Amino acid sequence: MSGALLRAGGTLKPGLPPVFACLGLLLVWQLYARTLSVGGIPDALSTVRELPTILGDRESLYDILDSLRRMAIGFAIALALSVPLGLLMGRSRLFAALVNPLLMVSYPVPKAALMPIIMLWLGVGDASKLLVIVLGVSLPIIYHAYQGARAVEEKMLWSASAMGMSGPARLARIVLPAALPEILVGCRTGIVLALITMITSEMIARQSGAGNILFSALDMAQYETVYAMILVISALGILLDVAFEYVRGALVGWSEPRHDLAPIPA
Amino acid sequence: MSALSRSEGLIGIVPILALLLLWQAAVSTGMAPPALLPSPLAVLARFAQNMADPAFLAHAGITLYRLFAGFLIALALGVPLGLLGATNRGVGAVLKPLVRVLAPVPKIALYPALILSLGFGDASKIVLVVADALFPILLATYQGAAMVEPKLVWSARAAGTSRGGTLFKVILPATLPSILTGSRIALVVACIVVFLAEMITSTDGLGYVLVRAVRNFQTVEMFVPLIAISVIGLALNGALALARRRLLAGFPDED
Amino acid sequence: MIAISGVTKTFQRRGGGTHLAIDAIDLDIAEGEFVSILGPSGCGKSTLLYIVGGFVAPSGGSVSVSGRAVTGPGPDRGPVFQEFALFPWKTVLGNVAYGLREAGLSRRDADAKATALIATVGLKGYETFYPKELSGGMKQRVAIARTLAYGPAILLMDEPFGALDAHTRLRLQNELLQLWERDRKTVLFVTHAVEEAVFLSDRVVVMTRQPGRIKAVVDIDLPRPRRRDELLLNPRYQRLVIDLERMIEDPPEEMRA
Ligand SMILES: Nc1ncnc2c1ncn2[C@@H]1O[C@H](COP(=O)(O)OP(=O)(O)OP(=O)(O)O)[C@@H](O)[C@H]1O
Ligand SMILES: [Mg+2]
Repeated sequence: MSGALLRAGGTLKPGLPPVFACLGLLLVWQLYARTLSVGGIPDALSTVRELPTILGDRESLYDILDSLRRMAIGFAIALALSVPLGLLMGRSRLFAALVNPLLMVSYPVPKAALMPIIMLWLGVGDASKLLVIVLGVSLPIIYHAYQGARAVEEKMLWSASAMGMSGPARLARIVLPAALPEILVGCRTGIVLALITMITSEMIARQSGAGNILFSALDMAQYETVYAMILVISALGILLDVAFEYVRGALVGWSEPRHDLAPIPA
Repeated sequence: MSALSRSEGLIGIVPILALLLLWQAAVSTGMAPPALLPSPLAVLARFAQNMADPAFLAHAGITLYRLFAGFLIALALGVPLGLLGATNRGVGAVLKPLVRVLAPVPKIALYPALILSLGFGDASKIVLVVADALFPILLATYQGAAMVEPKLVWSARAAGTSRGGTLFKVILPATLPSILTGSRIALVVACIVVFLAEMITSTDGLGYVLVRAVRNFQTVEMFVPLIAISVIGLALNGALALARRRLLAGFPDED
Repeated sequence: MIAISGVTKTFQRRGGGTHLAIDAIDLDIAEGEFVSILGPSGCGKSTLLYIVGGFVAPSGGSVSVSGRAVTGPGPDRGPVFQEFALFPWKTVLGNVAYGLREAGLSRRDADAKATALIATVGLKGYETFYPKELSGGMKQRVAIARTLAYGPAILLMDEPFGALDAHTRLRLQNELLQLWERDRKTVLFVTHAVEEAVFLSDRVVVMTRQPGRIKAVVDIDLPRPRRRDELLLNPRYQRLVIDLERMIEDPPEEMRA
């Protein structure tokens, strides 16, 4: 019974079935909105029709692109900081023992909830939102880089030092590639996290961005816009996931395919 | 081993203390105005004071209720769906593309829709927690169940267990480590999401306490709910680690 | 007792083609007989055993046990795998008692019977241990006890000692032989170790590689009860080992491929 699963199991390959799943979900939404016609819930069709209005509007398109820009920058900064930290933790037990409790304490704190406090110091502009995204994205990447580096075969490192490789060189040339599949698992979680932190921080700072459009529309009872923005943000999440899967395949095609466990929001 | 890990645990307090000292120093030297950054001592004192305040505890209780309700529903949905998806071709064929599409959707974006259809009360928040906690559990269960060594199932079948019986007697116990790993992630997710949802609708709960403090510019008060959610997360993590040690006595060690 | 007739198995390849793993196997095994299947790695020994066990369906042909066609696993055929396949969440006692509980025994009766069996495989005192706390040899003893517990008429053993060190392997071979000489179960035993096959078996079935076919069936006409130290000096034993080794090597299949 599960012999077949082993071969089929694990990865969920992009392809036609997910497209059918999207259509199916839209269909269910359509039928649900039509048959129940609960007050104020627009159906799928009229929401999809609303999309060109939003994406065609210069200002809201600019807002959405602005969100994406912040997200990309925040993600890049988090990546640059977290990967070395995680790798170091993985290779030094003392360092891991030093840093781990701090990470454990901060993990369950929603990073976007720090937004009001950070705004006191840095204002409502880009800096606060960037900082929150960096904080939100870092933890899973650090954690997975740590796990990945910890699992690197000791013997690989021995042979490397026997060849005369220095400590930092070993970290960059042996540990990093070996831990890469695991780091990428963290990155995928990080992408979802970046999206969530981005939306929530914009909801709190209410100045620009996709989150701002979404929640402002909610406040102003523009329900068509609310639902259309939900579609836009969901599509963003799915597209980023597909793009990520593509990059991952190119980078670590040699490793076993593995769907990540956890989009952890913050 | 245990002595070593205990001393390692102690080492870990150093950076936390250092951070607190730095914070205190920044406040004492006047580098940070107390209106923007209260001293850690003031924050801790307020936290202790609030722990005896029935109104604050009521908010914490509401948050905990939503967190647990959402997590338990996610568990009750995710485990059977994951097991069935991995062991039944038909279910798997429907489930996999759906998960592929829904898992990367940032669920917090759905919250406005949940508010519109379920109102501002508990229901919309619990459903949001379910939506976020479900996928870590579902994916972990699915992967764990798909990786179960077929020979375990065969051994049970040869011993007279029916095909359906192996689902409960072999696949479920063999998947338990994965389920607990998924649950750990889901619990962190649940903590985070319930807090954010309470911040957005801000009627009650720890998230509301934060928003209220922000509105009234009570900087000391802002830190208290954040500490509370961190403590809740740590406690839940600890409880889960305990459950892990009890339930998984026979499995190879992890972490 | 076991009748294998015309069994073939083809696997679907990932790319779309098919792979013929075993081809037209005919074999009859009498009750109480100890038959080994000997062959190079990848020749389909495990596949054949899984088909007899009912874990894997054949692509063609049929297997029947005591006149009844095999359609799935059953407690008349007890498997022992090279990888032990013990339930990691159960203690030694829980593993051995599993089949007894499935057979409907009360917990008390099952535990009592399991405890006795654990003693016969030499693991008295280890009842509350988990599999991860045992050595490889001990694990395999538990696996054998778990299978013996529900009293299968047939034992299906797939390289049961393959993962063990040489010393443990010899000890377990001796113990298995003693057990078998006592209650004469029908045994289908897969191995790629020639001496092991000759030492244990009444008959040895030699398979070819790719696709797996039966190349020869050799009767092991050595007297029982057998003792290893006596056999090593026995010219007949030496002859059988040498012949079988040649049969496996010759013609060198790597060269033909
Ligand atoms: N599930 C499977 N899917 C595809 N091919 C398989 C599968 N199981 C076995 N095969 C193929 O069938 C052939 C026989 O495999 P099998 O495991 O029966 O060999 P074996 O004789 O037991 O080898 P070994 O001595 O190494 O255990 C091999 O070529 C193998 O690649
Ligand atoms: Mg084999």
